[in-house]
Amino acid sequence: MIRAIAGKDLRTLWTSPLPYVVGAVFQAALGLLMVDQLAARDQAVVQPLFPLAGFLLLLVVPIVTMRTFAEESRSGTLDQLLAVPLRVGGLVLAKWLAAWLTVLVLTAPAAVFVALTSLWGDPDRGPVIAGFLGLAVLAALATAIGVLASTCTESQPIAAMAALFASIVGWFAHVGDPAVGDAGLLAALSLSERLRLFAGGAVDTGDLTFFVAGTAAALVLAASVVELRRLR
Amino acid sequence: MIAADGLTRSFAGRVVVDDVSFTVGAGEVVGFLGPNGAGKTTTLRMLLGLLRPSSGRAQVTRPVGHLPESYRGYDALSVEDQLRFWCRAHDLDPGDAIPPALAAVGLEDLARRPLRRLSKGQHQRVGLAQAVLGGPPSLVLDEPTIGLDPTQLVDARRLIRDAADRGTAVLLSTHLLAEAAAVCDRIVVIVGGRVVAEEVPGSSQELEDRFLRLVGEGGRS
Repeated sequence: MIRAIAGKDLRTLWTSPLPYVVGAVFQAALGLLMVDQLAARDQAVVQPLFPLAGFLLLLVVPIVTMRTFAEESRSGTLDQLLAVPLRVGGLVLAKWLAAWLTVLVLTAPAAVFVALTSLWGDPDRGPVIAGFLGLAVLAALATAIGVLASTCTESQPIAAMAALFASIVGWFAHVGDPAVGDAGLLAALSLSERLRLFAGGAVDTGDLTFFVAGTAAALVLAASVVELRRLR
Repeated sequence: MIAADGLTRSFAGRVVVDDVSFTVGAGEVVGFLGPNGAGKTTTLRMLLGLLRPSSGRAQVTRPVGHLPESYRGYDALSVEDQLRFWCRAHDLDPGDAIPPALAAVGLEDLARRPLRRLSKGQHQRVGLAQAVLGGPPSLVLDEPTIGLDPTQLVDARRLIRDAADRGTAVLLSTHLLAEAAAVCDRIVVIVGGRVVAEEVPGSSQELEDRFLRLVGEGGRS
């Protein structure tokens, strides 16, 4: 069932112009910002790629996730799905999976910048792999937040704005924390601080757990919201 | 079998469905009639497990075929892909279930057309095909003939009757009294959230006279 729903969502998404337009804008913006960074540093390094891509991802993900539940709820197809005796958790997982895979596909062309940088320099493989792993888990969490926002409303724009707000707050959580760098609470919750460690080549189980647990928590909340709507 | 046993539902202290009981047996088509706001859709949602009753019990033999009042499919999918998705959702073999469902609604020629390119009537027929996929033991149809032309209307009635003849319990919510008279074995009339009549429909004219009287009485009580 998870495969069927994820497959249907992927098909619905990719037969619309949305991922192509969003992907093109994402890569164009990333390209411009990367060229600017490389020019400013006068060095062929890949490290700026990950925070830039991470921040842009937070802008892109809500556009991909906003329709996951909001559109189904508005059109009434969610009721048809819920009339089938399926597990709400499976439904949420399937929709998150389809959206996450889409975001990963949109992110993948960023590897071109690594290839281009390799023409002039010799970037370490470790930080590159760790950086992309960081982007993948950041995308997983942002997608889960987007799916959660989409379960709470029938309006796609409201779902997108709510997810964007939550993600941006998460990204800048460390700003204003007096204990930055000393494991302050807000810094510990900061998505950008967590991603920065990945981009430095350090894959820490604590950081991985943070993203995985955050993703799981958002998905459990999303399932609870759908279940509440079903049995309100 | 579809059974409502004392179903009651309140919203913010206001009772919209009040102690509704009826049964639809295997092979039976029961019309569920009532004016707008009578509590029909709320009752159907409780029967389908989409809404928790404040009290009472809903029993429906599953899987249940369901056509909502305003049917919407996935516009990007073709008719066939749409039905294939619902086959997977109901754990049915698409090869066995899709051809008879398409034939039943006369959509074989449009199987590969995306839903966004279908007319309203064709869209509604996809919804009917989806509801009868795999010959479910229970069918809940909410205004199934909206948007159908007269020929398609006759075909839809035949489809409903054929489903019942194969042993399916069919609950048909409709505003069209002629349709109820033509296809239903019994009718249940709900007014103001309460069942006010449960009887055989009789002729279209008889049903219309009785319905208007019941609605008038229910509205005054």
